[in-house]
Amino acid sequence: MENTTVIETNGLTKRYGNGVLAVDSVEMSVRRGEVYGFLGPNGAGKTTTLRMLVGLIRPTSGMATVAGHAPGDPAGLAKIGSLVEAPGFYPYLSGRENLKVVADFAGIGHKRVPEVLDIVELTSRAGRKFGTYSTGMKQRLGVAAALLKDPELLILDEPTNGLDPQGMAEMRKLIKDIGQGNRTVLLSSHLLAEVEQICDRVGVISGGKLVTQSTVQELLGEEGVLVRAQPADRAYELLTGMFGPAAVSRQDGSIRLKTDPAGSVEINSRLVAAGIGVSELRPIERSLEEAFFQLTGEKQGS
Amino acid sequence: MIASIKAEWRKNRFRPAFLVSTGLIAGIVVLFYSAEWYQAAHPGGPREAVSILTLFPDQFVNNVMGAGFPLGAAMALVLGALIAGSEYSWGTLKTVFTQRPGRLSTLFGRVVVFQAWMGIMTLIIFAVGAGYSVVIASVQGHSISWPAAVDVAKGMGAIWLILAVNGSLGIALGALFRQSAAALGVGLIYVTVLQIIVVRFITSFNGGTYKWIADWFDGQNASALLQSFTSPAFGRSTPPAIGAEQAVLVLVAYLAFFLIASAALLRQRDVT
Repeated sequence: MENTTVIETNGLTKRYGNGVLAVDSVEMSVRRGEVYGFLGPNGAGKTTTLRMLVGLIRPTSGMATVAGHAPGDPAGLAKIGSLVEAPGFYPYLSGRENLKVVADFAGIGHKRVPEVLDIVELTSRAGRKFGTYSTGMKQRLGVAAALLKDPELLILDEPTNGLDPQGMAEMRKLIKDIGQGNRTVLLSSHLLAEVEQICDRVGVISGGKLVTQSTVQELLGEEGVLVRAQPADRAYELLTGMFGPAAVSRQDGSIRLKTDPAGSVEINSRLVAAGIGVSELRPIERSLEEAFFQLTGEKQGS
Repeated sequence: MIASIKAEWRKNRFRPAFLVSTGLIAGIVVLFYSAEWYQAAHPGGPREAVSILTLFPDQFVNNVMGAGFPLGAAMALVLGALIAGSEYSWGTLKTVFTQRPGRLSTLFGRVVVFQAWMGIMTLIIFAVGAGYSVVIASVQGHSISWPAAVDVAKGMGAIWLILAVNGSLGIALGALFRQSAAALGVGLIYVTVLQIIVVRFITSFNGGTYKWIADWFDGQNASALLQSFTSPAFGRSTPPAIGAEQAVLVLVAYLAFFLIASAALLRQRDVT
């Protein structure tokens, strides 16, 4: 039977020499074929975790299996493409030559070099020296290098960093396209909209701990409808009769219903027909941002 | 390992630092020969007279040996520190380490290509020295005769060994400091100043009782190895205090130590 878990960590912990606990007992599971968002504020431990997964740093304790191998194992690395933090290339070589160097290290031919340059739309500038590239071009080359091995697992650490809005949108589309099919993508980001748009599941890390791991939908919570109506007591009574007491609650002068927002027209009609004035009726949407701030204990707008 | 060698060669074959250093050392050999030729043609200056006989092709091995230490050594150290240290500052070490080869394979490829470059530099030094000596002999109307092939081979081996040892010191320091600047600073101070001062102190301390310690320094052995090539044509006959065989063995030991230290540092430490 094919293993459905591509990344599995068990108590993964990293404490640096200066005593800083960067990653604390992370239990993470990334399934084959999904785009997994790794969310967390700056300094939460995202990059340290990713570095441990690709074998750049060794965990203080705990274990990880990546693409069926221990982190850093050459057999596992052959299946992984990664861009961890800023892309690192030789400034005196062209983008194309840099990719050839990476291909040589990976032990693969240069056949994929033009292909990946095309995927990241860098073909026309591939002959220029890396040192002259803009931040966006550097990021693209980093993604191109990560794609060279046609990897089954792609690990991208904040790939939209430093990109302008158009570049970010293009990069998101690119990641979405890359994530189609059987390829697994682990995307680290602190940009919530990015994760919401691209990812199937998310893990939220805060203070080195993985505070939750779920689908984006689960994280956003249940759907609902918010109603403000007068007289409020009669409205509450009517809605309780419609949906049952368990689905209706009162909060700050409004009534919250656990129901599909698609039924809003029916709710409005029933209230109006009963002579109840409706001043507000809208779907309740918890944004990923709200969920994130709730989970990480950070304050919005701070 | 073949993949690592291939990749290291691709990235270093046109590396500006290597190209500039090779050109520089060739220029220094030309400058040395030009100065000596002028001196031989214009005796009577403040410097000791140079015999034109020492500048002909049969003596070229002895002449180019001077390029090995401390100048060639310092240059090799700079290149070693750059090849290892810049991988950290450019962030390329993590790109390389996340490809297929293991850390030690990567180091192996780097060392092979680096030492091949030291071989190329050695060849350039000898080719330029031989070429210039032919020019001098032709201009002076002297017949051209060459030193024995075995002497040329020994000379090239000695220069390569000195470059290899000091380059490996640079690689080890680059890995230790995880950057080129500190590696360059510490390495150059060690090769050109610190070692000389320490050796002088040890040699003069307590009437030279501890001179045997000074004889184990790499610089002392490099100098002794180069001096072992001096022929009577240069007017010096005092043999060096350290024999050529011992010097070779000590330098090989240093080479092994620096490479093992580099391997241990690369294998054990986190790449942050």
